[in-house]
Amino acid sequence: MTSLVEKKPKTGQKYVDILHAQFGAAILDESWQAPDQVTVTVDLNFLPLVVETLYYQHGGWLSTVVGSDERPLNGHFALYYVLSVEGGDQDFAANGEKAFVVVRALIPPHKPEFPSVTPRVPAAIWYEREVRDMFGLKPVDLPDERRLVLPDDWPDGLFPLRKDAMDYRFRPTPTTDKETYEFIDLEGEGIVQVPLGPLHMTSDEPGHFRLYMEGETIVDADYRLFYIHRGMEKLAESRLNYDQVTFLTDRICGICGYAHNVAYCTSIERALEIEVPERAQYIRTILLEVERLHSHLLNLGLACHFVGFDTGFMQFFRVREKAMKMAELLTGTRKTYGMNLIGGVRRDILKDERTKTLKWLAEIRTEVKELVSILLDTPNIVQRTQGIGMLEKKVARDHSPVGPTLRGSDFGRDTRKIHPYCAYDRIPWNMISEAGCDVLSRTLVRAQEFFESVAIVEHCLEMMPEGPILVEGFTYKPYRFALGYVEAPRGEDVHWSMLGDNQKLYRWKCRASTYNNWPSLRYMLRGNTFSDAPLIIASIDPCYSCTERVTVVDIRKKKVTLVPYKEMERYCMERKDSPLKQL
Amino acid sequence: MVLKLIKQVIKVGEATVLYPFTPVEVAPGFRGRPQHDPALCISCAACVQACPSNALTMETDPDRGIQTWGIFYGRCIYCARCEEVCPTGSIQLSHDFELAVMNKADLYERADYRLAACRRCGTLFAPAKEIEYVLALLEQAGLSGQTLAERRSLLELCPSCKRKMDLHKMVSLYQEADE
Repeated sequence: MTSLVEKKPKTGQKYVDILHAQFGAAILDESWQAPDQVTVTVDLNFLPLVVETLYYQHGGWLSTVVGSDERPLNGHFALYYVLSVEGGDQDFAANGEKAFVVVRALIPPHKPEFPSVTPRVPAAIWYEREVRDMFGLKPVDLPDERRLVLPDDWPDGLFPLRKDAMDYRFRPTPTTDKETYEFIDLEGEGIVQVPLGPLHMTSDEPGHFRLYMEGETIVDADYRLFYIHRGMEKLAESRLNYDQVTFLTDRICGICGYAHNVAYCTSIERALEIEVPERAQYIRTILLEVERLHSHLLNLGLACHFVGFDTGFMQFFRVREKAMKMAELLTGTRKTYGMNLIGGVRRDILKDERTKTLKWLAEIRTEVKELVSILLDTPNIVQRTQGIGMLEKKVARDHSPVGPTLRGSDFGRDTRKIHPYCAYDRIPWNMISEAGCDVLSRTLVRAQEFFESVAIVEHCLEMMPEGPILVEGFTYKPYRFALGYVEAPRGEDVHWSMLGDNQKLYRWKCRASTYNNWPSLRYMLRGNTFSDAPLIIASIDPCYSCTERVTVVDIRKKKVTLVPYKEMERYCMERKDSPLKQL
Repeated sequence: MVLKLIKQVIKVGEATVLYPFTPVEVAPGFRGRPQHDPALCISCAACVQACPSNALTMETDPDRGIQTWGIFYGRCIYCARCEEVCPTGSIQLSHDFELAVMNKADLYERADYRLAACRRCGTLFAPAKEIEYVLALLEQAGLSGQTLAERRSLLELCPSCKRKMDLHKMVSLYQEADE
């Protein structure tokens, strides 16, 4: 076993022992990537049962699922179900031992199918649909047969992430001109389908939403996303060297790019057993929190905007500019910091920069305090957000949402506390959660976290030790793999990286936080009114783009009406003259 | 609440500037358009190797005996990896961020470098400036006279001629040993 892993006591051993005791011969192998990271290979037939046991009996949360074409390595396809196991009973994550337990199963290429985990653990649904699209592995008994990632016009039988499938530059001829995606069929007396999209209002990423309305009330919702899948994983595995991928990860998200960057770097550093210098850890922590500052201010601003309080929106954005300037001062750019290399950071924080940052932090704290109190004093905000977009605890437990979305539903789950990385275990800070389960709670979590972030940056700047910021001269070791994880502003980002033998990555799976939050959105929308939909969608904090319009379909009259987005947004703010009435 | 807000708005005053009529100042360490100094550059292609986004390119034209260094600002991500790896400091990131152009061709910059021919077989094999740079480094390290001249004659050979010479040398060594 590896040196770094041996140095510290293992924290996941308990769960491995439990699995051995319960499943005996079905547990085929175990390997440790870090003291709190273990990969357990299980018999394919036992996969759903093992995942369910860890998820529901030992307080597991599904972080990501990685499919991998390992035929050139061991003759099989592989699946990795990454669970953050935290102990405790079915409902509450308790104070158990916390470790990442990765359940791995091998699939023979002559029979590319596996028993679906989704019927037992609903959180796996998107992952299994994605694995089917990208690798052609069929999840048997998966209730949803539709494509998730691949477009409607993608040819059948071409699985992009299989190693022998295609060059990353290949663009297959579209097979159809029509949209063939089937939305769920929900017809009944008085139910009207309202498609939103294919470009959606609060999301940077175009998404086609379909709301099922009964009068003004949403009965159910369905969505089709991935219209702008960029093929980054394929690109990283094919063209880029593993040390160049850091600059690609900066561009995964326009808001939490640095979080992805750190997650990727730590995954490689863990796989190669590189110990990052203390000072670099602190610098990373500072920048991660600076990123959270501007992200949370953006969301608070949008919360104002969506309840029709546009002056507040402008004020939050004015203050947010200071956070952007802070990033520019510390990294050299406002976004896409480009600060990380494998082994540390590229740029130190000097005395001048430190003094200036501390001054700005004090200013920003006072200003945001005033703005938040103004925002919460607005009678409109509480009235519009309390009890709206409920994410019940049970639903949250089943679907593994992350970040403020989960913490707004009374779960004290923050990757910075559960699996501390960088310097989060060396500085004092409080984890925030709210019990309301509604839009208001999620907004309050963000508002409070903002002040925690300010304090964290101040602490780090005070406590940062002297020393080197980058290690060089490590060795690239073929086929090593590990997880990297970061609590981004919207929740946990998880990267799983496996090195190849050619200075590249063999497989890289990156999972952004919103990926885990989309599936539970359906439940948040149910029972709310049409005018609250944009507010609810914004409360999980996907990115914002307002270039779209809304199509309203009345099933009974077979009538299609286009509602301009502006009109939809106006209705959300003013709640007068419903566009649905014109039907 | 409204009163508080109005007070806040008055206190803040004007938050925007009349850009582009008022210049915007950037932080001292800002990473803007990379500036290339063709005189310092030795055309070693280290930056081309490091560039994650393929904004930097190197093309060889054997007919003209020219190697062309090029940058396309449309692909550049301002990461400054080129600045980090450059042995001569010929690439430096400036504070310039206003890169909009009317004509796409204006986003390209190029510099031509002469390739040296192998002393023995005449193949073009490396930029002449790179060889001169290596010799200058050796001289600075204390080499001079006869040793430096020997090094020069070795450096002016292409890799395949070097291999051939090594082979001949080895053969003759073995023959000596046999005798």
